[in-house]
Amino acid sequence: MLDSAHAGEATLLISADVNFLVVIRRFVQAAAVNFGLTATAIDDLVQAVDELSANIILHGYAGAPGQIEVRCRAEGGGVTVRLRDQAPPFDPTTRADPNLGVPLEQRPVGGLGIYLSRKMVDELRYRRLPSGENELTLVKRAATAA
Amino acid sequence: MNVTVEVAQGRVPVTVLAVHGDLDASTYQALIATARAQVAAGASHVLLDLSDVPYISSAGLVALHSAAVLVQGKQPPDPEAGWTAFRTMGRDIEQGRQVGVKLLSPQPSVMRVLDTSGMAQFFEIHTDRAAAIASF
Repeated sequence: MLDSAHAGEATLLISADVNFLVVIRRFVQAAAVNFGLTATAIDDLVQAVDELSANIILHGYAGAPGQIEVRCRAEGGGVTVRLRDQAPPFDPTTRADPNLGVPLEQRPVGGLGIYLSRKMVDELRYRRLPSGENELTLVKRAATAA
Repeated sequence: MNVTVEVAQGRVPVTVLAVHGDLDASTYQALIATARAQVAAGASHVLLDLSDVPYISSAGLVALHSAAVLVQGKQPPDPEAGWTAFRTMGRDIEQGRQVGVKLLSPQPSVMRVLDTSGMAQFFEIHTDRAAAIASF
């Protein structure tokens, strides 16, 4: 499939509303197909973006109006998704990996969604931009089996 | 997302909730509400048919867990305080499989999420509807 992969990038700017999560999922799915990821890798990437976007909407913006920018780019033999939002600082990468043997009540807030995200991508990085935005970068490599 | 309800007769009446569509942060509360209404109407054996669910997120897992808690006659955590549901889920998963709510035919991508999250330990999962109904 990589023979037919297209290079380039695509960006979606969308209201931070749980009713629009399906639009984010369809967008990432379409971009990932176009960039040549295999079906399982696409599912994983879409799930991770959905979980993290839901966290931005529900915990970052906490229901207040806002936008999320979703940029998908083909690079390094895989797909990189960058999420940017203007909610208060929230870094999911500092949340400790939940131990599934530990009762969930002892896990941090939003733990399960973040845990699933981190398990489904090869890299997850966070930084706070000087502009006052949160930026999450997810990398899913084509060759990795989930 | 919509849920269709049917009562099938096995050894006991089994309420089959067939979920159609994605179970994400925008739809999971509707499934909990349907489960709540069915329990209020007397349902004590529930089969969740997931054959038409292409996608489930952690919010959807909360709905599955809440349905099981409701059928046990208890109150699930308030979805508005959604993250506290995860506390209860951990305790309940530790107690092992419950039998009030069972799952039917999760799609492969959904099954992966059930396995990865540990939720598969909490439910009997069937792939044949007749066998599922007879198992209650």
